[in-house]
Amino acid sequence: MAEFLAQYSIQRWMEMCPQGYLEDTVHGHEPDATEPEALLADDDEREAAIRTTVSLVVGERCALAASSGLVNAAPDYPSKRFLATQTLDEARHVEIFTQRLFDLGVKKDDLESTIDRYANPNLVKFAEVLLEKVDAGDFVAGVVGQNIVLEGMAFTVFELLEAGNREFNPKFSQTLKGTIADERRHVGFGENRIGSLIAQHPEKKSEIEKMQQEMAYYMLATFSDSFSDPDRKPNPAASQGAEADFHGTNLATATPEEMEAVLANTVIGEFKTRLARVGLEYQTPTVPVPA
Amino acid sequence: MTDTTTRTDTDDFDPHALAEQAFLDEVHSFQFWFDSIEGYLTDRPYGRRGTTDEDPIDDRRRERLITTLCNYAVGETAALEGAAGLVQLAPDRNSKIFMATQVADEARHLEVFLHRLRELGVADPESEIERRAQPALVDFKGALLDLVDGGDWQAAVFAQNVILETMEYTVFRLHAANADAVTRDVLAGVIADERRHAGFGENDLGRSLAVDPSGRARLREIRSQLDPMVLGVFEGALDDVGAPTDERHRLAGEYLDTVERLGLT
Repeated sequence: MAEFLAQYSIQRWMEMCPQGYLEDTVHGHEPDATEPEALLADDDEREAAIRTTVSLVVGERCALAASSGLVNAAPDYPSKRFLATQTLDEARHVEIFTQRLFDLGVKKDDLESTIDRYANPNLVKFAEVLLEKVDAGDFVAGVVGQNIVLEGMAFTVFELLEAGNREFNPKFSQTLKGTIADERRHVGFGENRIGSLIAQHPEKKSEIEKMQQEMAYYMLATFSDSFSDPDRKPNPAASQGAEADFHGTNLATATPEEMEAVLANTVIGEFKTRLARVGLEYQTPTVPVPA
Repeated sequence: MTDTTTRTDTDDFDPHALAEQAFLDEVHSFQFWFDSIEGYLTDRPYGRRGTTDEDPIDDRRRERLITTLCNYAVGETAALEGAAGLVQLAPDRNSKIFMATQVADEARHLEVFLHRLRELGVADPESEIERRAQPALVDFKGALLDLVDGGDWQAAVFAQNVILETMEYTVFRLHAANADAVTRDVLAGVIADERRHAGFGENDLGRSLAVDPSGRARLREIRSQLDPMVLGVFEGALDDVGAPTDERHRLAGEYLDTVERLGLT
């Protein structure tokens, strides 16, 4: 365990992030980069971008609360130290996505009301299921919920958004690339650290799988809400004509149903693979009904 | 004239030119932390410059240094767990983000002290820390985490970012002045962080006590409960680093000055 945890030390984090892919960036992107004029000039597009970004802020606030809460529940120094870097990563994500809301024209005084207005209730419930485990000091369930389920979802959503914004919005694309690099590290820790703990506590499996099933339900409900309303456009590639491939689907020509399907299938595929690696079996939730 | 905007680039940026809220937005941000640490931690693995060589160190001095570092690790573990809890309690976005940067700082401090212990030949730092921990420091850690668990932001910030950080800042500076070269390097980076943390604590409490001075009576009460532990920790730490008697009075004075600035004497 000690050798693999050395890969998640603060020193390694310092070398990878501040002295690596974040060097010379401000809020995760090049200092002079801006949101595209075409996006800022179109009220519908701007509102869709605000709605999408609010979901990212809600997810990252949950991740910040969960990772900081898990520091004190961690059973060893190396895990505490890794979760400290994750706490900082998540705080950075909260900050850069909040900054994007400001860049999209949200006034600082209106931040919380904007988040309240656009936050998807199913995403809020998704967060509550995880934070209940964290608040109870349940390290194993908390790490599975945070570093496999939440981070696995975030990782795939960021990849989808990055693919859709690569040509249209290089600023947002670069911001997302930095967060994807972070999430990859977080998922890696979850898989590596938690496998041995699950093996030590097999009695916790069913409870953790139940949590995963509940979180997956609210995640799929969030996706369903996001793609069922024709006015909600979570990906700008469709309206800008840019080609963007995501797991074999061209996001520029895909229907909302096709986008929802490729996103959900990709995330669930990731869940199955990663949960199996730690000795858990993916539990299929009931099919959510669009709000 | 003050500028009410936030930064757009990193060159020639002076946060003190900002209006109050914009200043707080800036100095409590990840970006500010990121720019700050780049200056003193880049290219210093585990806090140590590549050009610094080990000074010769005799067995007696090495033993004392190990005890000192073990107790620093206890203090940093308390600070790490305290700061992580304070992320949850923070009343606003800026404070949450600042506390998240502090969590990473404290974890780094713990890591560099553990690494230094291994360099000094300690094979199992965790059990050595348990064996050598000062009882007063362990008691202080418990008291701090009780305040955090109780959800009391103001009292926990007082215990963590004023009392604990001031103690550490004071002891680390004294130690750095007569430490071996490698330990001095390590302490230099830690001291720079502690200054930032103590600044946050004084600033946050100063503003909240200005709005609601009634909080002072409660914090004085907490201070009176913590003081015996603080004095015990100071005594033990100053013994370990070999502080002369006249220095001890001066150092205790620094702690009292901080408390006085907040009107808590």
